[in-house]
Amino acid sequence: MEVNFKVQRFDPESTDLVSHYQNYQVEMTESSTVLDGLIKIREEDDGTLSLRCSCRAAICGSCAMRINGEAGLACNTKIVDVIPSDGSPITIEPAGNLPVIKDLIVDFQPFWSKFKAVEPWLQPGEIEPEGEYLAPEEDMIHLAGVVSCILCGACVSDCTVLEVDDNFLGPAALAKAYRFSRDPRDESDDQRLAQLNQPGGVWDCTRCMKCVEVCPKGVDPMDRIMLLREKVMDAGYNNTSGARHANAFAKFLKNSGWLDELRLPVLSFGIFNIKAMIGLIPLGIRSQLAGKRPPIFHHKLSSAKEIKKIFEKVESKK
Amino acid sequence: MKYAFYPGCVARGACPELYSATLEVCEILGIELDEQALEGAACTGAGVLQEKNLLLADTLNARTFALAEKSGLPLMTICSTCQGVMSQANQRLTEDPEYLAKVNETLADEGLEYKGTIDPKHLLWIIAEDLGIDFLESKIVRKLEGFKFAPFYGCYIVRPSKALKLDENPNRKQALEQVIETVGAEVVEFPGSTLCCGFPILTINPKNSQTMVANHTIDAKDRGADAMVTPCPLCHLNLDGYQPNAAALAKRDIDLPIIHLPQLVGLALGIAPEKMRLNKHLVSTKKLLSELAVAP
Amino acid sequence: MIDHDVLIIGAGLAGLRAALSAKEAGVDVAVVTKVHPVRSHSNAAQGGINAALTDRGDDWRDHAYDTIKGSDFLGDQDAIEVMCREAGDEVISMENMGAIFNRDENGKLGTRSFGGQREARTFFVADFTGQALLHVLYEQIVKAGAFVYEEWFVLSLIVRDGKCGGVVMMDIRTGKIEVVRAKAVILATGGLGRVFEPSTNALICTGDGMSLAYRAGAELMDMEMVQYHPTTLKGSGVLLSEAARGEGAYLLNSENERFMLKYAPEFKELASRDVVSRCEQTEIDEGRGVDGCVLLDLRHLGEKYISERLSQIRELAMDFANVDMVKEPVPVMPGMHYAMGGVKADIDGKTAIPGLYAAGEVACISVHGGNRLGANSLLDTLVFGRRSGTHAAEMIKSVQHLSIDDSAAQDDIDNINSLLSNEKNESFGQVRLDMGTGMKNHLGVYRDQNSMEKALELVKDVKERAKSIYVADKSKTFNTNLMFSIELGFMTECAEAIAASAIQRKESRGAHTRTDMPDRDDENWLKHILVTKKDDSHDISFLDVIITDWEPVIRQY
Repeated sequence: MEVNFKVQRFDPESTDLVSHYQNYQVEMTESSTVLDGLIKIREEDDGTLSLRCSCRAAICGSCAMRINGEAGLACNTKIVDVIPSDGSPITIEPAGNLPVIKDLIVDFQPFWSKFKAVEPWLQPGEIEPEGEYLAPEEDMIHLAGVVSCILCGACVSDCTVLEVDDNFLGPAALAKAYRFSRDPRDESDDQRLAQLNQPGGVWDCTRCMKCVEVCPKGVDPMDRIMLLREKVMDAGYNNTSGARHANAFAKFLKNSGWLDELRLPVLSFGIFNIKAMIGLIPLGIRSQLAGKRPPIFHHKLSSAKEIKKIFEKVESKK
Repeated sequence: MKYAFYPGCVARGACPELYSATLEVCEILGIELDEQALEGAACTGAGVLQEKNLLLADTLNARTFALAEKSGLPLMTICSTCQGVMSQANQRLTEDPEYLAKVNETLADEGLEYKGTIDPKHLLWIIAEDLGIDFLESKIVRKLEGFKFAPFYGCYIVRPSKALKLDENPNRKQALEQVIETVGAEVVEFPGSTLCCGFPILTINPKNSQTMVANHTIDAKDRGADAMVTPCPLCHLNLDGYQPNAAALAKRDIDLPIIHLPQLVGLALGIAPEKMRLNKHLVSTKKLLSELAVAP
Repeated sequence: MIDHDVLIIGAGLAGLRAALSAKEAGVDVAVVTKVHPVRSHSNAAQGGINAALTDRGDDWRDHAYDTIKGSDFLGDQDAIEVMCREAGDEVISMENMGAIFNRDENGKLGTRSFGGQREARTFFVADFTGQALLHVLYEQIVKAGAFVYEEWFVLSLIVRDGKCGGVVMMDIRTGKIEVVRAKAVILATGGLGRVFEPSTNALICTGDGMSLAYRAGAELMDMEMVQYHPTTLKGSGVLLSEAARGEGAYLLNSENERFMLKYAPEFKELASRDVVSRCEQTEIDEGRGVDGCVLLDLRHLGEKYISERLSQIRELAMDFANVDMVKEPVPVMPGMHYAMGGVKADIDGKTAIPGLYAAGEVACISVHGGNRLGANSLLDTLVFGRRSGTHAAEMIKSVQHLSIDDSAAQDDIDNINSLLSNEKNESFGQVRLDMGTGMKNHLGVYRDQNSMEKALELVKDVKERAKSIYVADKSKTFNTNLMFSIELGFMTECAEAIAASAIQRKESRGAHTRTDMPDRDDENWLKHILVTKKDDSHDISFLDVIITDWEPVIRQY
């Protein structure tokens, strides 16, 4: 079957330094992958088409790119799954949020420097064991999920926070931080959690689940970031907006069963955060005038008592 | 069709217009809402309680599901975030019988048990799937011809695809566009349709949050949208409530009205805008409403 | 011009392990790699790493014998003893560095069974052990601050008066060519899978190091020993780990028969790989195949077990063969996988050229002889990577840089210009495909005089064609087209060495099975075959296998 590709090209040695799309038609089989197509293009049609690829089996992480606007590995994306139903071409673009070097090749330096920033190596305690560290089987099985990250960058490509703020450590680095924090042999949680609590760390994730959706290995970076938030709060770091927000939220639910929207932003910013409190005033006025100000008196749900009991029971089990 | 109605916290707080519009629209579409069935159901946690304690949040949602099961009715949501959080919780609860049993141990104290049969559905999906687009079409009294709307889904109703069963129900990925077209309007395509509005980081990183609002509203506005329509009141709060801040950050005017899904449907069903509190948004809907008033 | 004490080519397991040990010894180390370290092909190893841990009552000598037998007695027993004796420490060392090996119920390292071994001594991380170990080593070299020339491509080794003094290398990102002097160069460039089509190997496995060494005058040994892995997917050549069989999977023919029971009554599906591949090929050739394959059946293992221990290969079978192994058997066939042969090196990685070392798949000591046991390669890379790094770091203390200047790059610059100015013609892709399918057909699981002569013809043909291929991309930035064209030159040279060695061996041993000479001939052929470059052709020589304690016997599984 003939397949149409629309591939973003960029020639760093051109005079105008503008990217453009180039169309290719390739003869492919039903079971072909996007990578098969791109390799065929560069071997038979256009040898100048440049991309990174190696293993063809979703383990090396080289071929992450945007296919029809969404990040993924070219080597395990089947053609039949991405051919648009209206017959338009499959759009291939380089991974997002990273500078483009040439065609589909992006500069991974920002990715690696954030990876290195979380000190991604085991930091065990002082005492070295005779043989192996003893570790529970469930822990290693649990860690296998996040260790299976192949550092392909798909999550970073599509992260909606990185799109607006380069300071964010990003899903890959944070998931890697979780991998070590959660390792029973690692004993550096004090430094790790303190660092992750900083701006650019765990609290900057906007919970959009893009990383969860595009990860080719099921690493679930966002879920790991949420687990890190839990660890950070449990370790006593409760002085960020994020922690205050989560703590206030939980408090309202525990006491009344639902959200007190009027008080939540106040507690979240921090009542002594004068600047933020002043910033809330225009919003408060506008809301009042539109009749959208949440009730001043926050009544409890009829089942508030039962809900509180659930909180107490489950929290005590922790 | 009768549903156990879960309005969520925001529809009863900062977005009363969503609640009004929902009631008005459901009446005309013949959707019977039983709010009593889920009386006392807790907040879903909105992803935030999940950060504090995942098991606790799953237990509260399981409780809500158990109450729905007791009523014998399917569960309806009107908020993308409620929908997504519930779907994710439901996936965890129904995938692992041991986990469900553990959660039910706590629910047993109240004499409740979740049997795993609930499939929460957003009004958007109910219109697109349970009622059908043809049925909606049949109820329309005035087509919104000549108007352009930009669809903004809200992350929680489009990701992760597995929990939301998008592969089994691929129409869910296009449902909002379908509704816009059915009411006779034009869909404005823009890059941020399924991206993040920034609400979850509103107090945590206001600059990033408002930049997201600016990007999406400006993209939609510059592509000719008369308004943006969203099935999520949290997105609405950010896109509408913080639009002035976003405009200041972007150093330009935006003035893009943000309307709720039931408000859009309601306009086509002939419901008066004031009944749906369409005149009570933070970003003025005056221009849109006056154009609607004079349009055929 | 740049100077380094120790320069390591290749950042897979062997290269990174060498870098770590050299850095620990306090010398100046640099690693040069044509892809980012974590993209190295070591990450594709799935099943596990072998070691005999004495605290479990295992004995390294048993591991040694299993390895020797597995090699069909072509392995050098002194080197095998070193590898097996040091295995335990190596595995513990990786665990201490952070590897998340599987555990038993007491929290100690767990094992699985693997091919050709009487004891379950394969330590593993689910079914992506290679990736897990590679990432651990990368993390460690980041921690150690080792310098890596990322995405630089080595064009040639610099040899003066028979000594290796450095390399000529190109920055892929800018096209800039540098002459780099090094007191020791360690080749850790991996295998040559792309010489064959299909192959389990990544696109980067183009035999660079073997060819670089060959051109520099080093000896390539046992090149005819090319392993066909029994469980690869048809068409793509994607690998399904031996771990599947280690965890209890069956191999079935079209008659639903577990055919390995008749060929290898004791080890069954876990006989050595060459044996299993031959049995599969026989079943297929005799009409009991299913569409050119046999069936790998894991259904009886159950979903939970497969999800915990074999989740990656389950994904691979779904992605590349459209089969869910929980529900259906997967069609598999023998696929080219590993080069037992390579640059002749000793147990410290030293080659015949002073200053030049080799470790990992690129090297041939030989610890794998005529056939490598599964899970011994990860071990090989770590043990000999470490030893090479340590030895090189020591050796350089008594060595000066050779007298080399930028003119050393001239030949490579001329070669590149020549390639770039070739007229419009076929691309590297067509030549490689012809070479690959030809090599697989003529030097497959079974070969004979006729097929091997055809292989030599093929090699002659592709060597010529490789000189005049058209390079469409003339740019300097990330010119992958040019790089592939140079790699093609490396590959044709490796193909020549393979074909030249194969036709010499007048017996069947290990992976080299001749239908016209089906028996093993210990009397005449208990020796290695070495190929050295001579102008545009080659010289052949022989080296006796080193026997210590274990006399060769007929292999029965």
